[in-house]
Amino acid sequence: MWLWFAKLGSPKWFYDVSDRWLPWLAGAMALFMIVGVIWALLFLPPDYQQGLTTRILVIHVAVAGTSLAFFPLMAVAGTITLVWKMKLADMVAKNAAALGAWFSFVTLATGSIWGSVMWGTWWEWTDARLVSMLFQFFLLLSVVALRSAIEDTDKAAKACALLSIVGCINVVIIKYSVEWWNVLHQPASPLSMSSDNANGPEFWMATGVMIIAVYLFFIVSLILTTRNEILQREKRSQWVQDIVRAA
Amino acid sequence: MTQSIQFSSISEFLDMGGYAFNVWAVYAVFLVFIFVNLVFPIVRRKKILREIKKQSVFEHTDTDSTD
Amino acid sequence: MNLKQASIFQAFVVTLKRDLLIAYKRKNDIVNPFMFFLITSSLFPIGISPDPSRLGEIAAGVLWISALLASLLAMDNLYRADFEDGSLEQLLVSPHPLYFLVLAKNIGHWLVSGLPVVLISPLIAYMINLPQESYSVLFFTLLIGTPILSLVGSIGVALTVGLGSRGLILAMISLPMSVPVLIAGTLAIQETANGAPLAGYLAIMGAMLLGSITLAPLASALALRISVN
Repeated sequence: MWLWFAKLGSPKWFYDVSDRWLPWLAGAMALFMIVGVIWALLFLPPDYQQGLTTRILVIHVAVAGTSLAFFPLMAVAGTITLVWKMKLADMVAKNAAALGAWFSFVTLATGSIWGSVMWGTWWEWTDARLVSMLFQFFLLLSVVALRSAIEDTDKAAKACALLSIVGCINVVIIKYSVEWWNVLHQPASPLSMSSDNANGPEFWMATGVMIIAVYLFFIVSLILTTRNEILQREKRSQWVQDIVRAA
Repeated sequence: MTQSIQFSSISEFLDMGGYAFNVWAVYAVFLVFIFVNLVFPIVRRKKILREIKKQSVFEHTDTDSTD
Repeated sequence: MNLKQASIFQAFVVTLKRDLLIAYKRKNDIVNPFMFFLITSSLFPIGISPDPSRLGEIAAGVLWISALLASLLAMDNLYRADFEDGSLEQLLVSPHPLYFLVLAKNIGHWLVSGLPVVLISPLIAYMINLPQESYSVLFFTLLIGTPILSLVGSIGVALTVGLGSRGLILAMISLPMSVPVLIAGTLAIQETANGAPLAGYLAIMGAMLLGSITLAPLASALALRISVN
C-alpha cells in the first residue's frame, strides 16, 4: 500500500499516467459538454415561472456545484503536503487555487446574470449563497496571493497548504454564519429563493449531464496545468529532458 | 420521454423567449471560461518546453566548453 | 542535573510577562490601535451624515468594523519585532510546546491592543448614537469577539511574518476569515435591540472563542515553523 502511495506521489508517474488518460478524459468532456449544451439550449422546455432562463441555471448550477469541490480538494492536498511532503500534492493544490477562483467568479457572474432577470437586480445581499460564494472567492484569491508573495517554493507550498486547511474550515463556518445572518435579516421581500427548486425532472437531467461535463473540464484543466508545473519544477531531471528532446 | 426542439425558427432561437441578452451572455462567459482554462495551459506547455530546450542547449554547450 | 526544568505554566507566564513588559516600554503599541479605532469611527459620521438617527442605525456595524480593522492593523506587531531580533527562533527551539507560547503571545497582544479598544468602545458608541440599551451588548460582544479576531488573525501574521510587503496580503487573508465573528457580533446588537435575549448570542460567541483558543494557536504555531527556518 505504501509503495503505491509513494508511486502516486512521483511526478513522473503522474505525468505518464495522465498522458494515457488525457485523451479519454478530454473526449468524454467534449461529448458531455456538447450533449449538455445542445440539450439545454434546444430541447429544454421553458419553465412555467422562469421561461427560458432555466437555460442559464443549467450552466450556473453545474459550475457552482463544482466550485464547492475546490477547498476540500486543496485541504486534502495541503494535508498530504504537510504530513508526507509529497511534491505532487502541492503542484495540484497550486493550480487548484487559481482554477477555483475562476470557478467562483464564473458562478458569481452567471448567478448575477440570472438574478438580473429573476430578481430584477444584479446583486442581492439577501441571497446567502451569493454572499458565501463571494467570500469563497476572496479566500481562494488570498491563497493565490500568498503563493505569489513567497518566493521559496518549498516554503510557499507549506504555507499555502496550511492556509488551505484553515480556509476550508472557514468556508464552512462562513457558509453557516451567512445563512444564519440572512435568515435574521430577511425582510419581507418579494425575492423568494424557492423559484429554482421548482424545476422539473428534465431540467435536472440536463443539469446532471452538464455537471458531469464541468467536472470533467475541471479535471482536464487541472491535469494540464499540473503537467506544466511538473515540467517546470522537474526540468533538471533526465526524463523531462527526454520529453523535451522528443518534442 | 419524448422531447422536441423548442424553437420553430432561428430568430426565435436567438431571441431565447425574450431573454436573449442574459442567456447568451451566460453561454459566452462559460465559453470564455472553458477556452481560457484549456487553451492557456496548452499554449503554456509549448512555451515551457521551448524554454527548457533552450536552457539545456546552453548548459550542454557550457559543459562542452569546460571539457 | 542542577538545571531546574521550567514547567509549561512557567514558560507561559514568562512569555506573557515579557511581551507585556516590552509593550509597556514601547507605549505606542498600546496607544496606536486605540487611536486608530477612534479616528476610523469618527470618519463615518463625516462620510455618511451627522444625522443622529441615521448614525444610530449603522452604529453597531461601524463600531465592529472599526474594531476589526484596528485589530488587523495591530496584528503586524505580534511576531515582527521578535522575528527581526531573532527571539522568535529562540521561541521555536524552546523545549516547551509551542502552542502555549503562541497562546501567551496572543493573550499578551490582545491585552495590549484589543482590550483598550473594547474599553473605549462605549464612548464612541455614545458619539455615534448607538441606542442606549445596546451599550452593554456591544461591550460584551467586543470583549468576547476581539480575542477571536486576534487568535484567527495570528495565523495570517505567522504565515506572512518573513515577507517584505505583507500588509495587504495579511488583510486579504484575515478579513474574509473575520466574517463569522462580525456577523455574530453585529447580529447580537441588532437582535437584542429588537428584544431577543442576549444569552444565546454570547453562548455562540463563547463557543467560537473556545474553538479558536484550542485550534488557532496550533495553526499559528505550525505557520511560524513554516515561515521561520
